[in-house]
Amino acid sequence: MRMTEKFQKLNPTLRIQVLRQKTLSSERYLSLEQAKIITRVYQENEDIPVILKRAKALAQSLMEMPIAIDPQELIVGNRTPDIRAGVVFPEAGISWLGNELGSLPDRPQDPFNVRQEDIICFREIIEPFWQGKTLEDDIYRSFGEQISEIEKVVKINQKDHAQGHISPKTEDWLRYGPSGLLKIAEDKLSIATDDQKNFYESVSVTLRAACKFIKRYSVLASELAEDQAEVSIKHNLKEISGICEKLSENPPSTFREALQSVWFLFVILHMESNASSFSPGRMDQYLYPFYISDLNSGKIDYTEALELIDSLFIKFNHIVYMRNLHSAKYFAGFPIGFNITIGGQKKNWDDATNELSYLILKAQDHIRFPQPNLTARLHKGSPDEFLNECSRVIGLGTGMPQIANDESIMPALESAGISNDDSSDYALVGCVELSTQGNFLGWSDAAMFNLVKVLELTLNDGKCMLTSKQIGLNTGYLHDYSEFRDLETAYQKQIDFFVHKMIEACEVVEKCHQVHLPSPFLSSVIDDCIMRGTDVTAGGAKYNLSGIQAIQVANVADSLAVLRKLVFKEKSIEKEHFLNELLNNFQDNEPLRQKCINHSPKYGNDIAWVDETGNEWIEYFAGRLKMYRNLRGGAYHMGLYTVSAHVPMGLNVGATPDGRLAQTPLADGGLSPMYGRDRNGPTAVLNSVKRINSRIASNGTLLNMKFLPSLFDSETDREKFTSLLKSFTALPVHHVQFNVITNEELIKAKADPESYRDLTIRVAGYTAYFTELAGDLQDEIIKRTTHGTGY
Amino acid sequence: MEQVIEKKGIIFKIKRFSIHDGPGIRTSVFLKGCPLNCIWCHSPEGISQNISIWYNSNLCIGCGQCVKACPNVALELISGANNQINIDRELCNISGDCVRICPTNSIQFTGSVTDVSGIMSEVEKDILYFQKSGGGVTLTGGEPLSQPEFSAGILKECRKRNIHTAIETSLFCGKNAIDLVSDNVDLFLIDLKISDSAAHRVYTGKGNEIIRGNFHYLARQGKNIIVRIPLIKNITDTENNINAITQFVAETRKDIMIEKISYNPLAENNYRKLGIPFLL
Repeated sequence: MRMTEKFQKLNPTLRIQVLRQKTLSSERYLSLEQAKIITRVYQENEDIPVILKRAKALAQSLMEMPIAIDPQELIVGNRTPDIRAGVVFPEAGISWLGNELGSLPDRPQDPFNVRQEDIICFREIIEPFWQGKTLEDDIYRSFGEQISEIEKVVKINQKDHAQGHISPKTEDWLRYGPSGLLKIAEDKLSIATDDQKNFYESVSVTLRAACKFIKRYSVLASELAEDQAEVSIKHNLKEISGICEKLSENPPSTFREALQSVWFLFVILHMESNASSFSPGRMDQYLYPFYISDLNSGKIDYTEALELIDSLFIKFNHIVYMRNLHSAKYFAGFPIGFNITIGGQKKNWDDATNELSYLILKAQDHIRFPQPNLTARLHKGSPDEFLNECSRVIGLGTGMPQIANDESIMPALESAGISNDDSSDYALVGCVELSTQGNFLGWSDAAMFNLVKVLELTLNDGKCMLTSKQIGLNTGYLHDYSEFRDLETAYQKQIDFFVHKMIEACEVVEKCHQVHLPSPFLSSVIDDCIMRGTDVTAGGAKYNLSGIQAIQVANVADSLAVLRKLVFKEKSIEKEHFLNELLNNFQDNEPLRQKCINHSPKYGNDIAWVDETGNEWIEYFAGRLKMYRNLRGGAYHMGLYTVSAHVPMGLNVGATPDGRLAQTPLADGGLSPMYGRDRNGPTAVLNSVKRINSRIASNGTLLNMKFLPSLFDSETDREKFTSLLKSFTALPVHHVQFNVITNEELIKAKADPESYRDLTIRVAGYTAYFTELAGDLQDEIIKRTTHGTGY
Repeated sequence: MEQVIEKKGIIFKIKRFSIHDGPGIRTSVFLKGCPLNCIWCHSPEGISQNISIWYNSNLCIGCGQCVKACPNVALELISGANNQINIDRELCNISGDCVRICPTNSIQFTGSVTDVSGIMSEVEKDILYFQKSGGGVTLTGGEPLSQPEFSAGILKECRKRNIHTAIETSLFCGKNAIDLVSDNVDLFLIDLKISDSAAHRVYTGKGNEIIRGNFHYLARQGKNIIVRIPLIKNITDTENNINAITQFVAETRKDIMIEKISYNPLAENNYRKLGIPFLL
């Protein structure tokens, strides 16, 4: 029987429905328990090396943090007793919380309740101790001025929290368990050189504590079972107790034990560092041996396996990442990047899809929460059934799975120096960042580089159009460039100038991470840290890259196209006049702005010269990055994704030649065309995107596409969508994700047609652009499509 | 002798990722000109073979540049009204000055003259998607068979490139037009509207005898055909009409599928843009 048929009728069990509901209705609180432990450990151990402080702080937290078990849950464990608590890691930086503690419960986006005693504790114990001692303090002390000088162009990240976007070696964690890894570390410690001793000692401290942490759950479950009258719940608690008992001393052997073990790994990683995105990677691969062995021995059937996966899916929503007010606006809804990757190829290039890949898709269908972030790897040999099932789940409207293209990604990773074997085992981490598993510190999002802002400076002699402040080089004004290539030369100089300053800042940030945030537990699950005796922050990983995002190819391409065509070639817009209009934000000259929008072709419409203009600058930028090495000896490489940062990045940019108004968002995604400017349909978009050289974007790329739920209503239509996915594997493009749009968006589309011109809709027997429909028809369609929305 | 690739024709639209005019992902080429005049026609700009201008008031910002540019004083700016520009179609001689100057593309030509190679270079952009989806090219309109040589040229070039071809037609045409194209058509999408010839004349301007004759002619050649009935309330969607068409098709050949096509509510807007009354 085909797998999809087999799994089709499986509904979430009552237990899953209840757990899901509880997660949705839980109140969120600020939690300072761990912050207190960390502070105490640092106070008591002022004179020991930082790596040992960090290890002890984690170990104490693992042993002391209050823990809880919901008697109904199948997979247990969390970093706080409450679910979805906002955790504070003071060693990285707390200045934002100092400023925002009072407003945390009332802020519009992602509020957290704050208990009175926590306010006192924060003000009296935590804040005073950490004053001047954090990673953030150190970075600002040593390089703050330089970082703020370039902040309109370059956003330097990871200044007040640990580096994430890491896929640990979960396979080894499952093979050895913490006890087995501990033994390896202890063996290494016994023969370590003096400069390795602290590292191995720290790793051992954390792994020992990890075993105890797991054991605590066994004890708690057993206690709860004692008091429990209800037979099935009692039975479940006893089972949990047995599993945790075993995992505290041994590696897992059953599917349930393996899932539980995976979850403990991610809980502990999040207790060591409050980072965004520790990603589980290729779960359908490393869990498959456990699944198949249980299935064959009759220990489990696929319905039970699905319930366990459903449980884990819910668990991924129990850890949230509390961000500051500014950041919460742009990363709304606590994205924490538990990215699971399914499908793809094995090391011998055979298709890797298995029964678990389908069960994981089914779990996505069941749970439909923001986490985990689910990625399906496709390649030319992906089975039709897998493609179809991906389409079906995409059609549910959760935007997942997102699609990663092996055919494009593996060669890109190989050009970045990744071995063949490792590249075939890649997974996406966080959002769309590319990583191999268990041996890679990619330092994704080291910085975002706003190429659109640099273009603005190039037109205005290095002066910011919003503030008139001189922040770039004096390369001249638009009217000083007699030929288009003069403008290009000036643009290059400005880019070089900011790239150099950015790299200096990145080095300072990395150095401070090495000093303040060594991560011994994480190092135990990243090759080759243990072998080399080197912490992951100090370059212990096999691969050490730094990812810089180039922002944003669509606006660069469109703006340069207007300049090349209308200003320099046709001369239908006069240079000095144009610069003044840009400085004026096109005020009182809407016709000129419309001309910029409509009389010059735009990226995303399959017009080669415009797309290639964008690509030239992407290539130039990536080439400049190549001239530098990071502190760990690895390369800087480029990413083409912003996730949602195109909004704040846009706030920094004045009016642009492409007709975009000052401070409005840049194009979304990374490789997406400017919203509303792509008018030739999805195939034209893909053809444009493929002209941007993704091979050099080994940090990852992002393409958003929007479809209406009606495209997924009938099997015939869905097949067409599936064939689009199939075509995608023949394109040199890494990633695409699909918004199957909801009512809310349609209402916005109605109010703001310019931004939604590309939105197509199935009206009756045909498809049309939504914004071209008359208002009453739009209303009718808004009403009609309600059933198609997600959750 | 004129090469196929240089053959010229008039089109009013090329639509990529067209997914409801035949199998797979397709590119639909809309040929301008139609001998029928269905009162529900959803592409009224495709009826006449003459190129004129049309105006989309939704996009217009009322800047008035077109008014100044028009050499024939055919345009007028109406301030405050919904329709900012009034076009006097008597005075307009389609100079195109307004089209070229309009910053928002609110005023556009209703069609353009192109040649087969121009069509093919658009079509070729999506060959990958045709291949992966089992799609191809659909000629539609207007009535593609009102430009039989141009249609035949496009179809022939598609065939050369192994691109699946479909043609959407009313079959209101001479048999020679059918003969010109039929060898290079993989699928005929035939619109049968009204079974009763008198009623057909009332609503489309022509009786349906020619259509019936051509349908027999084509069906007997064993061509791959899908019949499509547009559902127009109280005109084509009556039980009688649908039964009669179904029976006619079944009597002609047993294996022909019939699809019912829901009415296109976009139509009214298109009439507005053209400045002509919508009678449905």
